[in-house]
Amino acid sequence: MKIRCVVAGCLLAGLSLSAAAWEPSGDVSVIVAYKAGSGTDTGARLLSAKAEKYVGHTLVIKNLPGADGKIGWTNLVKAKPDGMTIGFINLPTFTTLAVLPDSPFKVADVIPLCNHLTETAVVVVKADSPYKTLTELVAAAKDKKLRCSTNGVEASNHTAAQLLARSADFSYKAVPYGGTADQLLALRQNEVDFTCAKVADIAQLIKGDTPEVRVLGVFSPQRLSSLPEVPTLGELGYYDKWYGSARALVLPKGTAQEVVDFYEDAFRKTMTDPDVIYAHIQAGLELDFKDSKELAALIKEQEEFCRDVVSTLYQKPAK
Amino acid sequence: METLALMGAGFVAALTPLNILAMLLSTFIGVCLGCLPGLSAAMGVALLLPITFGMGPATGLIVLGGIYCGAIFGGSISAILIHTPGTPASAATAIEGYQLTLQGRAAKALTVACFASFCGGLLSCISLYFFSPLLAELALKFKSPEYFWLSLFGLTIIAGVASKSLLKGLISGMLGLLISTIGMDPMEGVERFMLGVNTLYNGIDVTCALIGLFSFSQVLILAEKRITAHREVTKVRDRFGLSLKEIRRLSPTIVRSWLIGNIIGILPGAGASIACFMGYNEAKRFSKHKEEFGKGSIEGVAGSEAANNAVTGGSLIPTLTLGIPGESVTAVLMGGLIIHGLQPGPALFTEHADMTYTFFAGFVLIQFCMLFLGLLGCRGFACISKLSDAILIPSIFVLCVVGSYAIHNNLVEVVIMMLFGVLGYLVRKFDLNAPAIVLGLILGPIGERGLRRSLLLSDGDPSILFSTPLCWMLIALCVLGVCSHLFMSRLEHRLQRTQLSAPQSD
Repeated sequence: MKIRCVVAGCLLAGLSLSAAAWEPSGDVSVIVAYKAGSGTDTGARLLSAKAEKYVGHTLVIKNLPGADGKIGWTNLVKAKPDGMTIGFINLPTFTTLAVLPDSPFKVADVIPLCNHLTETAVVVVKADSPYKTLTELVAAAKDKKLRCSTNGVEASNHTAAQLLARSADFSYKAVPYGGTADQLLALRQNEVDFTCAKVADIAQLIKGDTPEVRVLGVFSPQRLSSLPEVPTLGELGYYDKWYGSARALVLPKGTAQEVVDFYEDAFRKTMTDPDVIYAHIQAGLELDFKDSKELAALIKEQEEFCRDVVSTLYQKPAK
Repeated sequence: METLALMGAGFVAALTPLNILAMLLSTFIGVCLGCLPGLSAAMGVALLLPITFGMGPATGLIVLGGIYCGAIFGGSISAILIHTPGTPASAATAIEGYQLTLQGRAAKALTVACFASFCGGLLSCISLYFFSPLLAELALKFKSPEYFWLSLFGLTIIAGVASKSLLKGLISGMLGLLISTIGMDPMEGVERFMLGVNTLYNGIDVTCALIGLFSFSQVLILAEKRITAHREVTKVRDRFGLSLKEIRRLSPTIVRSWLIGNIIGILPGAGASIACFMGYNEAKRFSKHKEEFGKGSIEGVAGSEAANNAVTGGSLIPTLTLGIPGESVTAVLMGGLIIHGLQPGPALFTEHADMTYTFFAGFVLIQFCMLFLGLLGCRGFACISKLSDAILIPSIFVLCVVGSYAIHNNLVEVVIMMLFGVLGYLVRKFDLNAPAIVLGLILGPIGERGLRRSLLLSDGDPSILFSTPLCWMLIALCVLGVCSHLFMSRLEHRLQRTQLSAPQSD
């Protein structure tokens, strides 16, 4: 055992000496914790295909779905930190799981690389809903218990609704559906009164002359450039911080700094390529490059949010 | 008029040499994948999705469609020849198809499957073209109470698939429902029977369970017997082809299955695996040759295969128009469509009409590729059933393990598959009903969510379940499903008795 360790150590030392500027020695595995064809997967594949030009090798997507990301991310943090495995994480889901006491991975187990996509949360009603503004919706919600569809129990869009309800001080009935598509269908079918979703999910529903849904507010400190007429929640006196989801690239803990630098540079070039930007617009994805430092700050912020805010969010208010 | 011009332009765009090559190749790959137990259509599309990224949007979309249709048909080949449905969509095909193989009529069964798949697929294109907006509207009307009734209606099929004993069929169905409760509770988020295994978070994977119940149990059954060097019964002795008389006999079944498959396809959540059982069941109910069922009926094969291929066109309708995939394959397919620039929504028929109609045209042409490849390749595919058990057992074993691992790249699911294999073995020994377990497993979550969500919405008032005309329609279907079966089986008994007392003609 000891000999093997020594040999491995020598090999590692030899490798790091010989590699002046690091670059991958072969195909790079990209761990995606959701199944092929899912939203996360679609975005990951688009970026990976485009990044090959700058990485210099093929990026092979490895789908390891299950338990809402837990299985894939457990594999990601356990992967050999040799730069041959990178992975996508979803925020805040990753931090939500990581702050749980029995989580197989912690936030410190990954090295932030760069952010890929950002999706801000929004409050939506059906286009023919009697509630024209968020203020009207809140007033009605204080009067009687409104119904809100979510994408699952304590899932991202449930958290958004909960943030709104807490900050506007009303109670509502959260009805969980299987996913975002079902949740939005329930709104369009009039089965619920309002819902919270991400801006990309409803992009198709607000287009054209006869939009199907109406956006009442955005979970952001500033108005969104894509929805300039929609007020922020903060403007109306409700939750005033950003809430939404982000998809980012990370490396397993222990990866050398030069590897991080290599990928950060490669992905920066990829995400500023006009061709890539156009492909994202075509696919309806909101490209939002953040470097490793900015991403680290975002992950830290999300970790605190999950630990301090979300944990108390679902407790029944004491009356 | 403008629409017609767009449709025509679609065919012109789809008929480039490159696209035709893409259709043939992708359909061939699809059939091969579908043939292999465990490699489902969804997995096939997912596996080959990255390859299409380098192609033009039209070619890429056609390739995805080809794999989809090919895989759904391909599943029937292994279902017929080795009693292991290649995809869940062909589970019902195995019932009659394998009986025909045992009688040495494998080629006939394959021809029927191919012909029925072609008809089902082609007819489903008609609705894809013309009823798209109408049918999409119907699916939009399905709310939580309707889903509850829909799943209940689905469960009445158990009465149909349980041919030997209704009681054992019900026990099997209940077992399936019980197993379907494993995993995260959909309404409260509480873990149920997970035993600390993360993989069970989203419940038992149906494909994984199917591989175990149908394929792995087959390995156990085969291994139990002494290995014979050559399997005599499965030699393809008969000729390929169908007579005009047979086509005439099959047509009503195919049309019925097309309608069933189409509607099932459009409804989200219910996919080809349910459609094949419904198609089979209705074929049996209306058949003039009921006595053949369970002993190798070509109508049974046609009923199941036409229905599952009719799902393909049907399930594309809500996927394309509403962005709600009708089943797992189209969920994967939707990811591919978006990457190739086809955002689901009304813009498909205005802004992107040229691309949409090219895809539709490709979908029509793929059906012809499937018929061509199916009839041409049947003889080649038929070779599988000539294999000795000594080769077959390890091959199926390997495919089961690889297939169940490949679904999510997860070793735990291989263990789950094997457990289901043992369950499948016991099920056969105790004469229980494996398809009924699968029905319970698939329909359980749909029904549970529908019922509990309805009651949550109505504050526990059950009258919500009877609140819409659509609910009543589905209730009527449920009652009809149960009663017609009881009536038919009584009629069957009486017919059998009169037949027994009368002198046998053959």
